[in-house]
Amino acid sequence: MDEARLELPQGTLDLLILKAVALEPMHGWAISERLQQISRDAVQVQQGSLYPALHRLERRGWVKAKWAMSENNRRAKYYELTASGRKQLAAETATWRRLTDAVDHILRMA
Amino acid sequence: MLSDLLYRIHALLHRDRMETDLQEELQDHVEREAQKHGAAGMAADEAMRRAKMTLGGIDQVRQQTREARGLQWMEDVLQDLRYGLRVLAKNPAFAIVTALTLALGVGACTAIFSVVNAVLIRSLPYGNAERLVNVFTPNPHMGDVPAEAWGPSYADFFDLQRQMHSFATMAAFEPASYSSVTERKAVRLGAARVDGWFFSTLQSSPELGRVIDVADDAPGRHVMVISHGLWQSMFGGRRDVLGKSLRLNGVSYEVIGVMPTAFAYPHETDFPPGVLGKIGQTDLWIPLALSPQQKADRDNFTANVIARLRPGVTVREAQSEMSALMLSLDLLHVGSMRGFGAYVKVFRDSAVGPVRRLMWLLLGSVSLVLLIACGNAANLLLARAAARTHELGVRATLGAARGRIVRQMLTESLLLGLGGGCIGIALAYVCLRGLLLLSPGNIPRLEEATIDGRVLCFAFATAVVTSVAAGILPALLASRVNLLVYLKGAGSRGAVGNHLRSGLIVGQVALVVILLGGAGLLLRSYVKVEGVQTGFSAATVSMDVQVDAKYRTREQITAFYRELLEKVQQIPGGSAAGLTNALPLSHSENVSGFFVEGYANQKEQLVSDRYVTPRYFEAMDIPVVAGRAFDDGDAEKRPLVVMINEAFAKRYFGGRNPVGLRMKTSGPDNPWRTVVGIVHSVQEKSLEAAPTPEVYEPLLQTANDTDGEVSLVVRSVLSSDQVIAFARAALRAVDPDLAFGNVQTMGALVTQATAERRFQTTLLTVFAAMAMLLGIVGIYGLLAYSVRQRTAEIGLRMALGASRMDVVAAVLIEGLRMAVQGLCIGIAVCLAMGRVLAASLYGVSAHDPVTLTTVPALLLVFTVVACVVPAYRAARVDPGSALRYE
Repeated sequence: MDEARLELPQGTLDLLILKAVALEPMHGWAISERLQQISRDAVQVQQGSLYPALHRLERRGWVKAKWAMSENNRRAKYYELTASGRKQLAAETATWRRLTDAVDHILRMA
Repeated sequence: MLSDLLYRIHALLHRDRMETDLQEELQDHVEREAQKHGAAGMAADEAMRRAKMTLGGIDQVRQQTREARGLQWMEDVLQDLRYGLRVLAKNPAFAIVTALTLALGVGACTAIFSVVNAVLIRSLPYGNAERLVNVFTPNPHMGDVPAEAWGPSYADFFDLQRQMHSFATMAAFEPASYSSVTERKAVRLGAARVDGWFFSTLQSSPELGRVIDVADDAPGRHVMVISHGLWQSMFGGRRDVLGKSLRLNGVSYEVIGVMPTAFAYPHETDFPPGVLGKIGQTDLWIPLALSPQQKADRDNFTANVIARLRPGVTVREAQSEMSALMLSLDLLHVGSMRGFGAYVKVFRDSAVGPVRRLMWLLLGSVSLVLLIACGNAANLLLARAAARTHELGVRATLGAARGRIVRQMLTESLLLGLGGGCIGIALAYVCLRGLLLLSPGNIPRLEEATIDGRVLCFAFATAVVTSVAAGILPALLASRVNLLVYLKGAGSRGAVGNHLRSGLIVGQVALVVILLGGAGLLLRSYVKVEGVQTGFSAATVSMDVQVDAKYRTREQITAFYRELLEKVQQIPGGSAAGLTNALPLSHSENVSGFFVEGYANQKEQLVSDRYVTPRYFEAMDIPVVAGRAFDDGDAEKRPLVVMINEAFAKRYFGGRNPVGLRMKTSGPDNPWRTVVGIVHSVQEKSLEAAPTPEVYEPLLQTANDTDGEVSLVVRSVLSSDQVIAFARAALRAVDPDLAFGNVQTMGALVTQATAERRFQTTLLTVFAAMAMLLGIVGIYGLLAYSVRQRTAEIGLRMALGASRMDVVAAVLIEGLRMAVQGLCIGIAVCLAMGRVLAASLYGVSAHDPVTLTTVPALLLVFTVVACVVPAYRAARVDPGSALRYE
């Protein structure tokens, strides 16, 4: 597809989803739109991989889902961050920071 | 982790709703995406197409999402189960036969395991029972008496108790029995007289009241603790039993506590036969209450000792400490009472040691039955798999992975195994009932065998392991569908399967032969034991009686004996009655030293020495072969006499005629006794050992005390019930405080002596019969299948001129070939393993020719029977239609 866009490294999709739903409950399509927007279209989120990831997060208890009416009066499945999801988000964010800092540091020193 | 599991379970239970939800969610996504494109000016259908493309295939996404739910394997299992059930339902005959085969194996195994569980595995109700030991004081100079027959003298016991460091507590007790006479009935109760540490050593608490403590253990304290059983039978299980009393040997004892059902120490099975004397089970515990003289007695080695090891002390350390202490105490002993050592025996070994071998034998042989059942199930599954070549071929062609096919087949065999397991548990329940009816009575805690949680787990595990073991080969074989071959239409992997199947049958037949051989040898031994001539009359009725404390002198006791005998002899219809201190086969005997005039006497030669009244031999119908029997003249203050049995005469008098010669019993300082007669040797000690030398002294002339406990034997033309009623009336007339115990015919004693052998032989024979049945079904199944599979080939042969006889012969030869191969292996194993059974055999060698010829004959006959139907079917093949069918 678009060569300019970055492929997401393995495992980061979960982190991005958690971050996206941290503000407010969202449905799947909105999550994919939000990811596109806030990354300024820099990363490519495969829409197809979004749903397996959401269900995986739900299974782990980090997000919970419920059906609700959306703005245009249509039923949609909203995902919401749980308390343990919030902790997971904090932990994964910290890990990510440490990792990127370290890699950054190495790249600059070497 | 928990939420993960809950989610998966939720997902599994609400699978359908989650599917529609996902469908709706994805639909919603696509519509919103399309709407976005539409808003940007794209045509509606183009927008929709684009939206779907971006998502990347709804079905793939659904599949991936399902997998993310972690449910794929569960759904596969459910699908396998559903499919398996359908397949089995389509073939009910196959399913039922296989499940029943497994049920038979699992059921028999479970029943035996429940017994092993009760006898060997379940913990004993005495605190940490592993730390309990008995302390015996064997003396190597005292002949072939079991080590457990000796306990320390009380003086030694108290010295040991004071000096030892190995034990936390150490307690002494003595078996006893008491007559309890109420208006309703007179019974004798097994009891134990125990010291103040007995219950604390066993760490047992009463279910009601309290136990005997150190303060109770003093002369004159007439208190008792009773068993749960006695509480129920004598006090109606009433809660206000404490403080009630019971007259024992004419003295009133107050109940201070009731022990729970499980507490039964000492039980006769806790010791080698005879060590506990004539009590079977203990119903009463009474303070030992030794007198100062008894406490100072160093000569009577009669105490029974149970002790609990101090934490951290090993049995070996306790043993060496006890040996050292006994060695130092030996210096305080004099004369023949020297040389006693110490033997510290783990209580569990005493309590279950003797039956461990029997338990392993039963478990081992029932496992062989299970193995045969497993082989049969494997064979049936192999046949099924071969018949399903087409179906499996189709599935493989359509892309089913090999692992998936194996899993499917294993699921089916698991279904069969679990079904069989459930039937097996029901079967085990029934078998256990039957097994308890066969109980020989000397296997500790056998009556407590139940199907408890552990047994259920065992049954479940057995069912699973068996069905996987039976299913794995067929599954692997079936999954190895060669697509090319299958598609070419040949589809026959029969050759490999058939080799495997007949190999299995050969193995099974070998196992059947091993079981048949074992059962055959035991049966032959049993018949021989049953055929042993005991030498006494089985119809003679015997009963034990013991005088109580009001008989203080020997004269009083003798007067009681005389009066009792006189009354009993008046029984109508003519009878003989006698008394003895030790009945044959009752595991009781009195061992004494002896000295024969004119014989090269050894130091420390011992003989079993029995005390009898004049008409004892007549009452027992033991013939006098030379000289005369005792008569009323052989009484106190008359010339001392003695009788011997033939074995004694032969061994110690050689060629001389013993009648009129002299010998001494007990020590060489005792007076001479004249031998007046020789009786026929009887099986005094056991049915299975040759009669040993025996000496009989007149009861009224013995120098030793008999504790006033004797057995009355009566032979009469009347029925045993009438004899017993008459004897009871006689005893009541002589002394209303006393009661008979162990009332039974001598025949019943003989039956008891063979009970364990009967138990073992019956079970092994049943196992062998089950094995034979399974083996025959296996051979039949394989032949029937092979005839059906080869219908075309048989047809072709017949078309080419083979006669029906040829076809029948071919089937017979196939069956017999497997049988003979299995037979050879089985017989070889039997010969090699003869030693395993040797200890259980009587009168036959482990290579008994009768058994070694009967087993093959039986097996071949049954094999021919198994061949009949398949051979008949083969002979009825119509060449024309068989070839057309192909």
